[in-house]
Amino acid sequence: MEARPVQRSGSRELSNLTRTSSIPSTPNPSSSAAAAEVAFMRSENNNNNNTQFMSKPLGGQNYHLLASSNGGAVGHICSSSSSGFSTNLHYSSMEKHYASSSSNAAAAAALRDDSSWCSDSLHGGFLDFPENHHQASQIEDGGGIGAAFDDIQKRNDWHEWADHLITDEDPLLSTSWNDLLLETSSQSDSKDQKTLQVQPQPQIVQQQQPSPSVSVELRPVSTTSSNSNNGNGKARMRWTPELHEAFVEAVNSLGGSERATPKGVLKKMKVEGLTIYHVKSHLQKYRTARYRPEPSETGSSEKKLTPLEHITSLDLKGGMGITEALRLQMEVQKQLHEQLEIQRNLQLRIEEQGKYLQMMFEKQNSGLSKGTASTSDSPSKSEQEDKKISDSKDHLTPEETGKCKEPESPQPKRHKTDN
Amino acid sequence: MKFGKRIKEQIQESLPEWRDKFLCYKELKNLISSPDPAEFIFIGLLNSEIEKFNAFFVEQEEDFIIHHKEMQYRIQRLVEKYGDNDDETFREEIGEIRKDIVNFHGEMVLLVNYSNINYTGLAKILKKYDKRRGGALRSPFIQKVLHQPFFKTDLMSRLVREWETTIDAVFPASNAEAERGYERSAAVSSAAAGEGIFRNTVAALVTMREMRRGSSTYSAFSLPPVNLYDLDLVLQPIHIPSPILS
Repeated sequence: MEARPVQRSGSRELSNLTRTSSIPSTPNPSSSAAAAEVAFMRSENNNNNNTQFMSKPLGGQNYHLLASSNGGAVGHICSSSSSGFSTNLHYSSMEKHYASSSSNAAAAAALRDDSSWCSDSLHGGFLDFPENHHQASQIEDGGGIGAAFDDIQKRNDWHEWADHLITDEDPLLSTSWNDLLLETSSQSDSKDQKTLQVQPQPQIVQQQQPSPSVSVELRPVSTTSSNSNNGNGKARMRWTPELHEAFVEAVNSLGGSERATPKGVLKKMKVEGLTIYHVKSHLQKYRTARYRPEPSETGSSEKKLTPLEHITSLDLKGGMGITEALRLQMEVQKQLHEQLEIQRNLQLRIEEQGKYLQMMFEKQNSGLSKGTASTSDSPSKSEQEDKKISDSKDHLTPEETGKCKEPESPQPKRHKTDN
Repeated sequence: MKFGKRIKEQIQESLPEWRDKFLCYKELKNLISSPDPAEFIFIGLLNSEIEKFNAFFVEQEEDFIIHHKEMQYRIQRLVEKYGDNDDETFREEIGEIRKDIVNFHGEMVLLVNYSNINYTGLAKILKKYDKRRGGALRSPFIQKVLHQPFFKTDLMSRLVREWETTIDAVFPASNAEAERGYERSAAVSSAAAGEGIFRNTVAALVTMREMRRGSSTYSAFSLPPVNLYDLDLVLQPIHIPSPILS
């Protein structure tokens, strides 16, 4: 591992970034640096309540919203636009090469290699990564830490430049994280199915403006990187069932998956912000899925077992009948899912608590020691945080530990796990 | 220490294409233990890991969405084709679909599990970092993580639950009826796909239980023990080879 020591003033500023971002819930403004973020809310009509706070567990609310969208196509597009608040989507890409998974590099070429993520703000918050094209992430196989270090080294050059812009806390730009939540949340009943209206949405600390129902949620993330910008804004897109349905309709109306062209589909769908790259890669996936509908995504590798191995592996389930084995498998899967949801809710709440307490603590601090929260006594702070949380956790425990109950996840039927 | 082992096991049991998409926990831990773990580098690595998760997760999600729709159509077509006929081919096809549904459900759950494991790993590694460096990086960083695409598993969970409801309709009322048609035509090779998923799922559950059993560093941020009472009953008749149940 070659860690190039890059201790510059940057690291102090980095801590500052950390500080800044932890207090309010606005995302780190330095993201406006090389990675300015703008989220646009699309709104059609007055909608139901879409408030998604950072701290709120996402559970039940989203389901409702997703379910209630009347076939509206919803997608979530992260793209990049210039830092400067603009209503038209100007794409400048910030390539995220760590995103490239080697196996799919060819397949989803358009998207994969040059995608900018909504999570850009995360990066902007700490290190700005206007990445070069050629840096493929090798971290994925765990052996590439050295290469990653090289990448970081290059990026550190940006850091100072980014630092200048840190103070530039334009509330319009410091959009949020909150909006990232909106991808699933703003699907309230949409009247207009396919068209989008981009509506600039200034961000409020920890508050989401109620977003009227939209059929497609477009959330471009502006990330300017003055270099490594191939200009045609290829952005990562997050599909939803509704959007996919719109896609399928469009494809069918054009004669099926074989005859439909990306361009035609794109035109048909009339979803603003959807690019031909998105459609193209999605169409490719779609075609593949239709050609071999049966096997699960990973079925192929498993199928290489010889018949003998098949039979032996079935013994795992005690040689029971197929249907019984399926039932058991289903049961186990359900359990895992249930536990995952519980665990996730707990994790969210723990962090929520922690954040709240930290804010309180810092308020106290700033009250005492005049000025911004201190950055220096980190160790004691985290201990304090721990302590405060454990105090409040006692309060949290009886209802939250899921011993006999679950948090308010709306489940039709669940096992009663009684002690 | 324990988590490192756990995640390694998880990865081993996981579906092959997923194996290099997990958190590089060990490497990160080594970085922290190194003499001068620069915050830059550490954060940079974390960010790249997060990118990795995001990319993988969203892509899988997209695949699942497509598959989800296709399955729905398939069932619909089958129902239309056979109406009320309960002949053998119908039962066979239903059996096929049932298996596919279960596997599909399983994969989606595993994706949720993937998200969770990586999140947990991040939280733990951040905690280690703070401990080693006396910093307070964990809390704000985790806040950011909470908003990452890979952490937002709501859509997946929703689909999972939808299929849980659907499968009840597809599972036969009586076993005998099902076994008759299905056993004969049992495609053993496709059952193997289910095996991989099944093993992975069981491993995930066991891992979760073990991880939450309580550790030396139990703190206010730790999760309480898992209540898997029912699961223990379910798992008893299964003979699980030792790698999973270490």
